[in-house]
Amino acid sequence: MKVLCAREKLREGLALANSVIPSKSPKAVLTNVCLIASGDMLELVGTDLDVSLRFRITEQVKVIEAGTVVVSARVLHDFVRDFAGETVELDTREQNCVIKSGEDSAELVTADADEFPVVAPFDDAGAFSLQAGTFTSLVNKTAFAAAREQGRYAMHGVLVEIGDGLLKMVATDGRRLALAHAPMDTASGTKPQKASIVPTRGTQLFSRVMSDPLDQVKLTFTEAQVGVKTRNAEVFARLLEGEFPRYAAVIPAESKNYCEADASLLERKIRLVANVTGDEARAVRFSLSPGRLELSGHSAGRGEAHAFLQVEYKGTDAEIAFNPDYVVDGLKNSESGIVKLEFNEKTSPGKFLLGENYIYIVMPITIDA
Amino acid sequence: MNLSPTPILHVDMDAFYASVEVRDDPSLAGRPVVVGGAANGRGVVAAASYPARRFGVRSAMPTAEALRLCPELVVVPPNFEKYTAESRKIMRIFRAYTPLVEPLSLDEAFLDVTGCELSSGDPLEIGRAIKRDILRETGLVASVGIASSKFIAKLASDMDKPDGFRVILPDDVQTVLAPLPVSSIFGVGPRTAKRLEAMGVRTIAELARLPRDEVAKRFGASGAWIHDLAHGIDTRRVTPRRDEKSYSLERTFPKDIHSREELRLRLLEFCEELAFRLRDAGLRGRTVTIKARYPSFKTLTRTHTLSFSTNVGVRFYSAARELLDRIPQGPLRLLGLQIANLDDVRTPHQGMLFGSNPTETEAPAESPERARFADRIERVSPGLDRLRRKYGRGVVIPASLLGREASTGRDGTTGAFGGAARAEAPESGATTELDLDEPPAE
Repeated sequence: MKVLCAREKLREGLALANSVIPSKSPKAVLTNVCLIASGDMLELVGTDLDVSLRFRITEQVKVIEAGTVVVSARVLHDFVRDFAGETVELDTREQNCVIKSGEDSAELVTADADEFPVVAPFDDAGAFSLQAGTFTSLVNKTAFAAAREQGRYAMHGVLVEIGDGLLKMVATDGRRLALAHAPMDTASGTKPQKASIVPTRGTQLFSRVMSDPLDQVKLTFTEAQVGVKTRNAEVFARLLEGEFPRYAAVIPAESKNYCEADASLLERKIRLVANVTGDEARAVRFSLSPGRLELSGHSAGRGEAHAFLQVEYKGTDAEIAFNPDYVVDGLKNSESGIVKLEFNEKTSPGKFLLGENYIYIVMPITIDA
Repeated sequence: MNLSPTPILHVDMDAFYASVEVRDDPSLAGRPVVVGGAANGRGVVAAASYPARRFGVRSAMPTAEALRLCPELVVVPPNFEKYTAESRKIMRIFRAYTPLVEPLSLDEAFLDVTGCELSSGDPLEIGRAIKRDILRETGLVASVGIASSKFIAKLASDMDKPDGFRVILPDDVQTVLAPLPVSSIFGVGPRTAKRLEAMGVRTIAELARLPRDEVAKRFGASGAWIHDLAHGIDTRRVTPRRDEKSYSLERTFPKDIHSREELRLRLLEFCEELAFRLRDAGLRGRTVTIKARYPSFKTLTRTHTLSFSTNVGVRFYSAARELLDRIPQGPLRLLGLQIANLDDVRTPHQGMLFGSNPTETEAPAESPERARFADRIERVSPGLDRLRRKYGRGVVIPASLLGREASTGRDGTTGAFGGAARAEAPESGATTELDLDEPPAE
């Protein structure tokens, strides 16, 4: 294999590949990137077996001799980053790969290409077609609410549902839940056989490769994985097993208390009051009276704080407390200037309407159970 | 401002359980009486009256052995609800004098009367008044020790028992401590006593004479602690609410139990009992540990930490029965349950969307049906607990425990979540059946 490539293009590709490729792995071959030169493109392949990436460099690249080489992804990336020249030349010589830029060069050991796992190419048959922006916007609105710890459990991912002209995403960590949907041509592909829970890491990588919101991208589901194809990348993520919580049951249909507030003002005031709450058991109390919302918080170590804002509220006095971080997480993504908050009791879920097709549920903090 | 050098009181009831029984049955007066478990079936003595003690009968002794020492011994099964009621009266008397009351058990507490002079008098006056109030209100006798620290106060209350009243002034501490055996020091058990004896140390004076570093080196942190105590140094404060670390309950069975079903029922009973005690104390717990002892005395424990704190018995039980499944089959001599990782119910509590939070770190925990059931139980618990406090703990119990005898401890303790306590429910006489969809009327 012999290839010439613009250094910056190669660096970008390797940086992306390194977000998938593990730096340490019991299967040593996985710490490598597989470079495939053919025709007029250079393809970078990386995988940790849960998430896989195939990234194509088609511009500012010249294939002199087709071929495949497997080298340490970190080491190659670091050289390409630190070289000074405009272009990088990759050239395989027996067991080694020589990389050159300007007058500088390095000769890297390679791994056996046959040991590198096969990442099957994206299959267009049965794939949905949609705008990248639709997908990334739903990910941004939901993925933050997924359970955070790494794991293979149902709540460590985003539930993706397709049907009735809608693409719907739901994520929850058991304390809050975000649900958003957007119109999509659901007839363009084959609906997945079962609910698909996409690991959070996968959704992040999907968003990363969909850099242009106006791009048309393809989305496909198989029994075990979900794939996305953009102009120059293919990303596959193994679906999470397990049953996603039955989320529909926890979304209150009707609420006794209903108020409307300015989203950015509310966010600012919550942050203000939250300054007084401690690190553990953070809680900000929302006290509603007609036309007015009082936010208050206290902690033994710091003191107490109060903030007020005008709201649209006609009911009787009501109260509920939330973890301020959870509420702010949602308000940050609010689509409209006005946020609506609904709840029944101070122990029942608070429902924030953050946009037309965007619901955010936060379980309250109960003080004095 | 209290200038008294001896503001710490230790009040200890004399042969508490036995005295309550003798008070309520005058025919027992003057006779050797113990409260405890039956002689057949591994019972032990929970409390012995003073006449019984003259025969060498001591608490924690197997009842069978006590009967050998004293054939005319009267063995009374314990009635903990009665003792708890008396205990409440006694604690209320303490609190009338000072808010700084630290109960050690049902019949024993430390009091700090610093600053109570204007309202209640000096420590001696308070000590006498408390003895008098207890006798008047309960007909029972307490011993009182007064000193400058907890350790010395406890020592003092024990010195003139029964009906003791002893003040140890700071200047007298060394003289009083010097001749006592090292085992009088809290924290010196039989093993430490033996090791000290091997070093030629039998009395507190001998221990006090050893260099502190040497004791600390031999016995670690507890070495420094016992050395301080040997010098009468004890800076522990009286804290009204001790930070309880865990609640536990264990039972040695009269006969080894093989049936898993039976063991599960025992666990359910323990879970209900500990959950009740936690609710009563305003606490919740997260870590469930079971302890199982085989006839060979081989003892295993298994632990599981829930993703949320709770004080609902069935929640603990979901975890406990899985833990039981993880211990090897075989008859058990003892089964125990501990709930740890406690927090106050008043600490803010993050609500969960899906009942008991089917979280990440847990294996498929409760089934949704079980979770919904537990949620319902949780909602009605405050009401049920009021019934239990009013009519006896056995008035509402899980149906699967119906018609069973409550597990009794070796000292005859019952958890009351079995059949035994049901008999105390007035009028109804039987366990109330409640439809869980309808919270009981307040």
